[in-house]
Amino acid sequence: MDLSYTAEDQAFRQRVRAWLAENVPRQKLITMEEKKAWHRKLYDAGFIGMGLPREYGGRDARPMEQAIVGEEMVRAKAPPPLNGLGIAIVIPTLIHHGTEQQKRRFIHKLLTAEELWCQLYSEPNAGSDLASLQCRADLDGDEFVINGQKIWTSGAHNADWGLLLARTDRTAPKHDGISCLLVDMHSPGIEVRTLKQISGSGEFCEVFFTTVRVPRENLVGDLNAGWRIAQTTLSYERGGNTLSRYARMLQQVTRLLEVCQVLQRDGRPAIEDPLVRQKLGQIYAEMEVLRYASLRILSRLERGLRPGPESSLAKLHYSELDKRVQELILDVLGPYGQQVGGLPDELALVPGVDYGEEGSWMYAFLWSRAGTIYAGSSEIQKNIIGERVLGLPKEVRADRVVAQTAGAARGDGAD
Amino acid sequence: MDFEFTEDQVMLRGLVREFLSEQCPVSHVRAMMDDSRGYDRDLYRRLIQLGMLPFPEAYGGAGLGMIEQAIVLEEMGRIPYPGPYFATVILAGGALMASGDRRTQARYLPDVSNGDLTMSLAFLEGGIAWGPETIRLSLRRDRDGYRLDGIKRFVPFGQSVDVILVVARAGEGRSAEGISLVAVPAGTPGLAIEPELMMDLTSKTATLRFEGVSVPAENLVGPEGGAWPAVELALRQAAVGASAEMLGAARKALEMSVDYAKVRKQFGQYIGQFQAIKHKLAEMLELVENAHAAVYYAAWALDARAPDAALAASVAKSTVNVAGRRVCGEAIQVHGGIGFTWEYDLHLYFKRAKHLEPLYGDTEYHRERVLQEVLAGRVAGSA
Repeated sequence: MDLSYTAEDQAFRQRVRAWLAENVPRQKLITMEEKKAWHRKLYDAGFIGMGLPREYGGRDARPMEQAIVGEEMVRAKAPPPLNGLGIAIVIPTLIHHGTEQQKRRFIHKLLTAEELWCQLYSEPNAGSDLASLQCRADLDGDEFVINGQKIWTSGAHNADWGLLLARTDRTAPKHDGISCLLVDMHSPGIEVRTLKQISGSGEFCEVFFTTVRVPRENLVGDLNAGWRIAQTTLSYERGGNTLSRYARMLQQVTRLLEVCQVLQRDGRPAIEDPLVRQKLGQIYAEMEVLRYASLRILSRLERGLRPGPESSLAKLHYSELDKRVQELILDVLGPYGQQVGGLPDELALVPGVDYGEEGSWMYAFLWSRAGTIYAGSSEIQKNIIGERVLGLPKEVRADRVVAQTAGAARGDGAD
Repeated sequence: MDFEFTEDQVMLRGLVREFLSEQCPVSHVRAMMDDSRGYDRDLYRRLIQLGMLPFPEAYGGAGLGMIEQAIVLEEMGRIPYPGPYFATVILAGGALMASGDRRTQARYLPDVSNGDLTMSLAFLEGGIAWGPETIRLSLRRDRDGYRLDGIKRFVPFGQSVDVILVVARAGEGRSAEGISLVAVPAGTPGLAIEPELMMDLTSKTATLRFEGVSVPAENLVGPEGGAWPAVELALRQAAVGASAEMLGAARKALEMSVDYAKVRKQFGQYIGQFQAIKHKLAEMLELVENAHAAVYYAAWALDARAPDAALAASVAKSTVNVAGRRVCGEAIQVHGGIGFTWEYDLHLYFKRAKHLEPLYGDTEYHRERVLQEVLAGRVAGSA
């Protein structure tokens, strides 16, 4: 056991830090062209999909190097790259299950963000119980015909392509009749509507499919093998880079400590109030534990161990902690934490943000409510931990009657 | 960056687990609950002789670090081991090592290392505090030596160890200046030892009254009036060590609960099938795994003399205090009535974790310390 960074890792961190200091845009990125240009710059520097094998455009980077880049990006307040979900989910899916032609056609353009991707999994009646999805893909000659609706699709309004789970056999048990398809989001018959979220912003979409035709060659893996394919890559979405999540919380709480020197509470700076100090000490300790736990995961990845159901522990940990962090921040700041626009600079997380924009205390607070829902809710994670880590017997499920032939453990819950 | 244990560390854990499970079954633990000394001297000697002590080889130790001590203590928490290992090795041994006083180290540590000598550290007095301001026990020069007057409470195994290191103060101040450490053998005239009857019967403690206790000058440990840094470091190590022991108790309570939920049936199904129980057990596992990360990070930070060692120690104790009470408490809840009986072993772990919770800093104390360290900038320098 040695928790120090190697000289090699420290040198790498210095190089990343120097590059970011030189290249992080000083102005806020507004247009998609600006965002794509920044993404391309990151790609050319070797910071996008860097853990992928070189043959697919990656750098064969170690998990530690990826974590360092994630952490330094937050520290440098660098705008995030595009296609995050595509890089985390679509590329591993294609590498493990795609045809050679699919790999050549899609991976490079996804990495460079020449093409933007979305993940078409959840439906209005298939959330945690993802396998009950109803969106249909009926084979008609050399084409699939898609009809149905998807929801909570991040970035669908900007996407060029989508990774779709659809039902291809309605007579099979529910887990066995699903296939995985690559869908051109510019196809006729697709309608995308953005959903306004509680933050006032609109990143999530509803997607409607009306007789959308997808060529058969866009099927990933075997027909009706979509559920298994989705399972092998879902855990990539969970607990991958918790260090950068720690870095973001740290940035907010560090700023909170500064604000507490200025904000008056009962006639003295809040930082002198014993109850405030207790809360700050508690939350800082909890964040440190997230850092230690992240290092533990990282050290396993460095040894070549793949994230298994244990990644559910990491996901549960950081998403629930984020809610506690944001609640605490608003406890300490009172009404000032809820003010958007016009907040004095010395009290703001980032001065001058408008309603519905990232960078206010309020925005971070509201978004913390999403983290325990997407990528498998906390309740789904606890089922996975209970059944697949602790080995507890499965609960009695009403849908098991039809699903009994469908085989072993299911870890439901996609996005 | 490597958070996994080395082969040697894995072997050490295996060695201690095998020894304790064979030599210290729960029947022995329960026998010691009714024993006035609270431990078996022969078992203690053989345990010490396993060769896992943190002292230099010149004093008969194995030169091991805090990570190894955390492994040993975690295993003890799983039993829970009744005996003065923590008092002797972590508290007194830690203070002796931290004092840098080679003469005193050479006087006591070889006997400690072969199991012939047991020791403890007497710190708490009237109230609850872990800083120098709480120390009032008076130290005065007296002919060729020193005279001690005052009271110490909750001294671990104070009724059955051979030598007690006493934290004392010369004069009336409240600061760290003037704090001294003095070795007082049990049986010294003027020292009255009263066993305390505590909730956790496997962890004995005593009240020590000092009335004109005279010790020779050679019993002073470290510089006169300058012992606080050594005491502070020993308490920091004790906080991490206690966290490790609580982690062991919590993990054992979790394992018992998971096993129980797999065999206990109600409403025609195993209770582990119910989400009410399954989710509780998942939350307990998260608490235990986070406690593991906190304990071993802190142990590493102490060994590595990392800039955030004090921060990490306080993170660990405040984290494991909460994890210990919640995991051991929920374990009773999962078991239901059987978990509330004297006969079932769960209360041994529940009480051991509770026993250690206020010692070497309670949760609020360590949260305040966390903030102080952060505001002082003593955080991990990751670059």
